[in-house]
Amino acid sequence: MNLSEVTERISRKLEAKGAQPDRQKIESRLRRLVEEFGVNAAEAERTVTGDLAREYKVTNIGGTSTELRPISDIVPGEWVTIEGKIVALTPALSPSIAQSGIVADSSGAMRFVTWTRANAPAMEYGHWYRIESAVVDEYKGAPNLKIHSGTTISRMEKDAPLLPSITPIAELKPGVGSVRAKVVQDWEVSHERMLQTGLLGDETGTIKFVTWNEEGKDKLDLDAVYNIFYATVDEYNGRLSLTLNTAMYIADEGDIEVGRSETEIQGALVHIAPGSGLIKRCPVEGCNRTLSRQNYCPVHEIQPNFRYDLRLKAVLDDGIRARNVLVQRELVEKLAGITLDEAVGIAESNPIGMDEIFYRIRNAVLGRYYTCSGSEFGGRLLASSCTPVAFKPEELAALLNRAGGESA
Amino acid sequence: MTPQTQFEREPARRVFASELRETRYQFKDGDDEKSPTYVILPTGIRSNRVFIVGTLTEKLRQGDQNIFYRGRIVDPTGTFFVMAGSYQPEAMQQLARIEPPAFVAVVGKPSLYTTPDGTCLVSVRAESISIVDRETRDLWVLDTARETLDRLDAFGTTDDSRKAQEEYGTQPAIYRKIVYDALSQVQL
Repeated sequence: MNLSEVTERISRKLEAKGAQPDRQKIESRLRRLVEEFGVNAAEAERTVTGDLAREYKVTNIGGTSTELRPISDIVPGEWVTIEGKIVALTPALSPSIAQSGIVADSSGAMRFVTWTRANAPAMEYGHWYRIESAVVDEYKGAPNLKIHSGTTISRMEKDAPLLPSITPIAELKPGVGSVRAKVVQDWEVSHERMLQTGLLGDETGTIKFVTWNEEGKDKLDLDAVYNIFYATVDEYNGRLSLTLNTAMYIADEGDIEVGRSETEIQGALVHIAPGSGLIKRCPVEGCNRTLSRQNYCPVHEIQPNFRYDLRLKAVLDDGIRARNVLVQRELVEKLAGITLDEAVGIAESNPIGMDEIFYRIRNAVLGRYYTCSGSEFGGRLLASSCTPVAFKPEELAALLNRAGGESA
Repeated sequence: MTPQTQFEREPARRVFASELRETRYQFKDGDDEKSPTYVILPTGIRSNRVFIVGTLTEKLRQGDQNIFYRGRIVDPTGTFFVMAGSYQPEAMQQLARIEPPAFVAVVGKPSLYTTPDGTCLVSVRAESISIVDRETRDLWVLDTARETLDRLDAFGTTDDSRKAQEEYGTQPAIYRKIVYDALSQVQL
């Protein structure tokens, strides 16, 4: 066991009680016990904690009578005692983890891990436990309960019904969240380990979700509404996503009018960037990168069995701002009036090959007005819809009024 | 992970031919060789790029060694002079293929020339030219009218428009009239 870690833990315990312990002193006492007297680290921790508690005249340190706390109030850096129900167990990602999952009480839920070296009793799914002297730290931006060797776990003879509170999607934070949401999009899975991925939405917004392959996990139906309890909320590159493997989901009645957190831009397509048109993608599972002309993938090298795709990388300009847009195959097919199969056929029989498709698509869309909407990501709009702008006589009338009316 | 100052592409301003024709003032923003060059449009905004849609009425191939194309593009208010040379290969090839008359959309950079006898000419160095339809032309007239009116509404409140006032003595009422006349030519 790392002594500086133990030192840190002891001094935090004391600090929580208002004392100002000297870390060096704690560490030298621990070292003395462990190195000179062969005391094991857990015992040394207990001894030093007890001694210091007496010195600083503080009581109830890491003891059994720590105040019981509601989960929702807990912030990283605290030592806590909670009573909660195990609402999810997840496979341990490392041999040093004995158990991980989600523990919940009526106020909220939190992820937990039990270290293997804690030698703690395994907790069972669906049961209530009293967890004393666990430590909360931050993992991937969310509070996480750590069960270590100093934690006492006792099973409770309690079976209180637990109804998680539903969080609007726009208010989700990294950690654990329960939502009532509709499956608005069901995407093609990008990895063999993935069971399902797509987009969930409620009145306040949308969020990406993933379910990994695991026994007993079912797919969600498109357009159906679900109550999803205790999903894991992860953050990546500033965007949140939900992992449903920890969650329990129940189909619900009714429908949801999904709020769009989408950006809509109207403007002229003023530039079609290289890399638009017919492209080749790496066939390796989960890769999907664009191949060079020589079928070279930056990761998987030469890939002769590539698959074709159509896309448009362009600049949509409203005269005030020029924005990059990325348009996927289905929309490109509609905008350019050419299907992927037709494009492949033309490219394979044409002397300039894929360039011919670039020119055809460019000639069809360049310099024309479109309304594109979608989500903005990394300075680029990923278009979920893209429609030509139609001429509206009422706009002409309004502008005539504006130009004429004010000059009079 | 993302760079602090991301490159932002210059927007393509919407401007009618009769306004662009009056443009005289050009400046460089910064001392670097690669610093962008802007013109100040009379209605009071800097522009490093323009988007125009109109009818290509004439195109001319010029030069022996360095071939370049000139084109005249007409909008409801006047004529744009567009050129595309070997430094704009994409636009040059596109222009070479298009036979006038045709509705075209042009994205390009405004540039100013002073002839030996002192007259100032404004032309657009095309980055791309494509054939469009009448509806796109009409949409562009509406779009350009709206943006010109927006600039006129803000006239006198921005640095660029104060500069325009200083350089051109712009009379907003004249430009409102130009916008009105342009809109009147759009057929329903």
